[in-house]
Order: sequence, then C-alpha cells, then structure tokens
Amino acid sequence: MRTWLSGLVLISLLLASASCVTVRPQQRAILADPIMQFEGDPHANAPIRHALDNREGSFGGDGVSGGGCGCN
Amino acid sequence: MQLARATGAVSAVLLATLLARTAYAQAVEVDTTHTIFHEAPTKSNMTVYSPSADLEATPYDWLSVRGGWEADVVSGSSVAVKAGPAYGATHGTDVVTSASVHDFRNLARGGFTLRKDIVSFVGNYSYSTEHDYRSNSFNIAARTEAYEHNSQFEISYAHNFDQVCDRTQSQSDPPARYVPLEDSSGCFTGTNPLRTTLPIAVDSFQATWSQSWTPIFSTQLVYTAQITNGFQSNPYRSVIIAEGLAAQENEPENRTRHAVAARANIYFRSLKAALRLSARGYWDTWAISSGTGEAELEKYLLEPLRVSARLRYYKQSGAVFYSDDYSGGNPPLGPRGQYWTGDRELSPFSSWLAGLRAVYTLSSKQGRLGGFLTSLRAGVTADIIGFSYEDFTLAGQPIGNARSYLGAVDLTALF
Repeated sequence: MRTWLSGLVLISLLLASASCVTVRPQQRAILADPIMQFEGDPHANAPIRHALDNREGSFGGDGVSGGGCGCN
Repeated sequence: MQLARATGAVSAVLLATLLARTAYAQAVEVDTTHTIFHEAPTKSNMTVYSPSADLEATPYDWLSVRGGWEADVVSGSSVAVKAGPAYGATHGTDVVTSASVHDFRNLARGGFTLRKDIVSFVGNYSYSTEHDYRSNSFNIAARTEAYEHNSQFEISYAHNFDQVCDRTQSQSDPPARYVPLEDSSGCFTGTNPLRTTLPIAVDSFQATWSQSWTPIFSTQLVYTAQITNGFQSNPYRSVIIAEGLAAQENEPENRTRHAVAARANIYFRSLKAALRLSARGYWDTWAISSGTGEAELEKYLLEPLRVSARLRYYKQSGAVFYSDDYSGGNPPLGPRGQYWTGDRELSPFSSWLAGLRAVYTLSSKQGRLGGFLTSLRAGVTADIIGFSYEDFTLAGQPIGNARSYLGAVDLTALF
C-alpha cells in the first residue's frame, strides 16, 4: 500500500512539473525527427520483439496489440 | 477459410477507401518486411522466414485505415521429452528426445485511427491461423495531449480469443498420466477423437505517458498488465517427473503479469546523433521477475542515411514451479507441487543482444519521386542474441550454442 502511495505521489509530482515545461512548436524539429521516436520503426522492430517475447518469461512495455501464438 | 474471409474484408475496406477517395488522399504508406531467424542450440534448431506487407491510407485528416498480412514459415526441431541431471546420470542423455517442427502461421490484420483536435482513437483487429493454434485479437487505444503537445497520454486495451489444439486425455487420468500431442494432424477438423480444442483468453492493458522536457530531451513511462487464462503449456512436450514416467507439460492456467518501463531520448547536436535508453522491470504471479536494460545510439552519416547500434541485457528468475529435474529428490531438484515444465523461458537465465541497423531514405524536395512517390525508405537489420542458462539442462547436458540470429530487410514507400 505504501509503495503504491509513494508511486502515486511521485507521478503526481512529475506531472505537476511537466506543466511548467514549455517546448514551443518551433523548437520541436529535433523531437519530431525519426531518430527521436520512442517506438522507432515499428514494422522493423516487430520481428525482434516477437523473437524475444517467445524466448523470455517477460512481457510488456512495448504495446499490447498482436495476435496468434507464433511461439516457435 | 476464415483467414481468407478476414483478409478479403480488410482488402475490400482498403480498396474501397482508396478508390473512393484517391483524388483527396493525403497519404498512402506501403511497408514490407522480410525476416530470417535462426538458432541451433543443443538438441533443437529452428529457422523461421517471416514476410509481411502493410498498407495504410489517410483519405481525410481525421481518418486513417490500414490492413496487413504476415506469415511465419517454420522449420526445425524442438525438445519433445525433457529430463534433468539426476535422471540423466542413471539413464544417459539420450532420454531427451527431439521432434521435427513444421508450421505455417498466417495473420491478417486491419484497423483505423480517428482524430479530432488533440484526441485520437485507434482500433485494430487481427486473425491468425497455425496448424495447432487460432487467434482472434482486437485492441483499442485513446490518445491525447496537454501542455502545448509536450505531454502525451495513451491508454490501450487488447483482448485475445485464442484456441490451441491438444491431445484428448482420458477423463479418469490425473495430469501425471497426460499424453503429449503427437503432431498437429487432425487439429481443428472436428473429426479426430484424439484431438481437442482448448481456449486461451488474454486481457492486456497499457498506460503510457510521454513527455518532452526540452527541445532535445524526452522521456516515456509505460505500465503494462496482462491476465492470461487457459492452456499455457506446450502440448507437444513431456517432462520426466518420476522413474519411467513422462507426462505432458502441466503449467498453471492463470497468470497475471506486470511491467513498468522507463525510457529517455537525448539528442547530441554536435554528433547529429540520438541516444535512446530504456529500463524495464517485470513481475508475475508465477514468481518470475526480471530486469531489462537497453541502449541504442542512432546517427545520421549523411542526410538520407542513418545507422544505429543497440545493446540489450536481460536477466530473470525462474517460475516458482520450475525445476531442472522433477525426478531428482528434494528441491531444488525434485517435485515442485502440482505443476511441471520443461520450458527454458521459465528457468532462471540471462541474455544479451547486440544489433545494427541502417536506413536509407530517398525523398525529393522538388516534387515527387518518379512523379508519384513522396519518399522511399529501405532498411537492413542484423541482431544476435546470446542466452546463458543458470539451471536448465537436457539430462545434465548444458545448452550449448545458445545463440539466435536475426536478419531483416524492410521497405517503406509513401505516396
């Protein structure tokens, strides 16, 4: 319970600090560049994600779409 | 037949959209990817060729529709009977056997995105078939922005209605007497009394917060949860659980999984390069916990050419019911309750990944390429993954050559 509350307080503080941030539209050129995207090239990353998901006991942090087992 | 109908429906929607709105279309993107995966660790090997093709059209500013297809052509062999070191010491390593694997997975998918001001809604559906597996999956997502586009929030939900083929078991037998599936012949036909179909339901939820802090620095925080209910064992694999007794793998039917990932992207103006850092923590109700760290550096060599290198390290603990030898006496070898598995991914291990990628983008600042192409992008990727198993053997024989190789080429055309 205390862990969850600490997490909520931390996220609330981060969100509050986010409201102070002002990156203006004309300053967003680098942030919009393909090399600054979190998802990278989704189609190119899908095969390695698929291989890792089926060879590790973990999952998550990369999206929840998908279908089929393809467990080989 | 169902796959053909799903593919047909997706194609019809895309074609109708394209034909009806070609004159007003703002963008059409076509992607194709071809991947070869290969691994040959001790007593098994696997080669998978995976082609895919996707098309997305944006006929209006407020609407995008997409459809695609992918396949896995699988050939190799996998471990069919797993034993541990104590059993191997008295019976030899030949008690571990392998069986050939050949499969052809087909997946058709389609979806749409609706946009209004700073809000967008996404819906996707996919249907896939394998010789021994069927899957219907949908996911929906909602995104919005705040603080002059600097904060982005997304929530998404996905549900899978899956079915797996299994060997029909005698109702009077306990799991310790269950027989593994011999092969996929007769699966989903309804005519073979030795084949049955078992359901798997998967519910997934994800919340994402992306934040731009400065013109060259952004972060992302992601929480993912997933609940799986149904048959999760490998139906083909059996495990030696006592002297002379090999039983089909028997894993719990319920699993709840959580992951938290944090990412940071920073751009170095002097290098014309971006460094992407990522860390993920994971835990689940099978007592597996793991940590993942990843770093990727991507740099423009020329204006149209960018190259990237990535490194990844992963380490996990084993499932609470995992043992390397269920016939070996007291834990850590020996029985671990009512479940047993011969799955490497449920054992404690670590892995590393090293990868390279190059992308070349052709675009014209004066008009379209060839009169119709806005841009053309080609990419080539190579990855190698190494695994180090702390407590997984094949009758006492450690897994050697535990490396996987992946090579891919991809092409994206924007019209």
